[in-house]
Amino acid sequence: MAERSFSASHLPGFTVVALAVFTMLYVPIFILVANSFAVTYSASLWDGLTLDWYAKAWENEAVQSATLRSLVIALSASIIATFCATMAALGTTRRRAFKGQTLIYVMINQPLMVPEIVTAVALLIFFASIKVATGYQGLGYLIAAHSAFCIPFAYLPIRARLEGMDLSLETAAADLYASPWMTFRRVTLPILAPGIIAGAMLAFVISLDDVVITEFVKSGGQDTLPTYMMGQLRRAMTPEVNAISSVLLVLTVLLLTAFFFLTRKND
Amino acid sequence: MTRFLTATALLLASSTLASAEGQLQLFNWGNYTSPELLAKFEAETGIKVTVTDYDSNDSALAKIEAGGHGFDLVVPTHQYVQIFVEKGLIVPLDLTKVPNHGNIAPEWMDVSWDPGRAFTIPWQWGTTGVAVDTAVYSGDINTSEVFLNVPPELVGKINIVPEMNDIVNLAVMWAGGEPCTEDLEVLKKARDALLAAKPNWISMDYGATEKMSAGEWKGSVNWNGSTMRIRLAVPTVSYGSPKEGYPVWMDSVAMLKDAQNVEEAYQFLNFIAQPENAGMISAFARYANGIAGSDAFMPEDMKTAPEVVIPEEFKAAGVFIPTCSPKAQEYMTAIWTELQK
Repeated sequence: MAERSFSASHLPGFTVVALAVFTMLYVPIFILVANSFAVTYSASLWDGLTLDWYAKAWENEAVQSATLRSLVIALSASIIATFCATMAALGTTRRRAFKGQTLIYVMINQPLMVPEIVTAVALLIFFASIKVATGYQGLGYLIAAHSAFCIPFAYLPIRARLEGMDLSLETAAADLYASPWMTFRRVTLPILAPGIIAGAMLAFVISLDDVVITEFVKSGGQDTLPTYMMGQLRRAMTPEVNAISSVLLVLTVLLLTAFFFLTRKND
Repeated sequence: MTRFLTATALLLASSTLASAEGQLQLFNWGNYTSPELLAKFEAETGIKVTVTDYDSNDSALAKIEAGGHGFDLVVPTHQYVQIFVEKGLIVPLDLTKVPNHGNIAPEWMDVSWDPGRAFTIPWQWGTTGVAVDTAVYSGDINTSEVFLNVPPELVGKINIVPEMNDIVNLAVMWAGGEPCTEDLEVLKKARDALLAAKPNWISMDYGATEKMSAGEWKGSVNWNGSTMRIRLAVPTVSYGSPKEGYPVWMDSVAMLKDAQNVEEAYQFLNFIAQPENAGMISAFARYANGIAGSDAFMPEDMKTAPEVVIPEEFKAAGVFIPTCSPKAQEYMTAIWTELQK
């Protein structure tokens, strides 16, 4: 080999920069997790290990109902978002390139680009007028809002999977007189499934973590886990909040790990 | 799965019952409402209170202004009460339905932002002052000099809470002005004092409760409730109320114009103006409440706490910081920006 190909890892200072970045990313999280096991109320004193804060958070009725609500919303929103995203992905890949294709991509991915607070304020005004007109105050608004901003997160992995698929399989099915629906059902969908599941999990995590839009859309008694935690900030932070954060973190990491395995290239 | 579905159905259904009998929707700061208080209220009246959290006056105002929120009561901070009134979002109380209205302590009855308490019932109040470890500095701490003219013992050991309104107004009052002043002489004096003092501060940061309890800071501009918690960890810490003037805040409960459960809301307002119930509010969030006679029902460690029970001689120096005019706001922001550099 005459010349080595370009590799970022051979640039000067690569190790230092990488270490610094990882330190900044992870040290605060480690401190948070460590503090969730601290005995004392105060976050910077350290005198022993305990699981009390986890027990306390677990027994807290407000935390229980917020958790259940978060899960209901995340599950409903991820199912709706994944369904829409799958159809959008099929509609934008399984056809000849068309005029305005880029515009459609941009429109589907709008929630990734529009600042969350803008969406939140827009939804606040929009939903408020519906609430006044209909009197309905239920979870439907939150589920609708979450479904909307989760769509691009479900859409991207599904589309990536579709674009990476070998089209000849579908062509072969068609050659063998499978109807378009049959081809989709027996060939496309099974190959696409990991992408769909990955998209659904990503959507679930995004919905579970959302604060800004939820804060603006929620009606009476509809605090989710993240908005409940935000509300705790007025008074001193307790390790109870650290404990809840740690649990959310573990849940998110588990789902994202599963996402990673499902979207690996060679599976 | 069935259980999950049932729970889902219940969740979806329950929220449509906002105006059902025996319900009350309270929109309050997070972690601010005692669960025991709500349990007692439900036991006495059969009314179930649903609490929804907010984390700033602005987000509460935005949601209520948009309409369709379904809340009955809200708990704005004093400088927001008039905004709610002017926008027609809260209504004057029918005092015949709040017989306990008379329990409001005299000094909290005729407040500038709600004369005669026509709109609001006190929830909790607190002050901004200075927390100092008297083992390090034993001089007078009831003065803003502590952080504007830092005594040698505290140099490099005192912190400033990064709250523009509190800090700039403390400095303005120290300089002889009124809060929200537009007097350039006073503002200049305040700015110069802040800039000159800054090198002597260890930081401008939140977290005094933790940092002072751990002994990392020996002083801080701080809130009274937080200082009480510090003192419980470090007994030599005292709370000073600057005699030149210090900010007082108060959160009060108001009835929303589009409240659905008006009768229930009145029952709740009357309930919290009862001294023993007000005592429960304080016991939970650790701030004083403004209802006369509630001290007797506070936990032992609060009854005598000098941070909660402000000594008589310093009471007069407490000032409600009003909503500043846009111009005053601009001056304050300019000073604050310079201070942050």
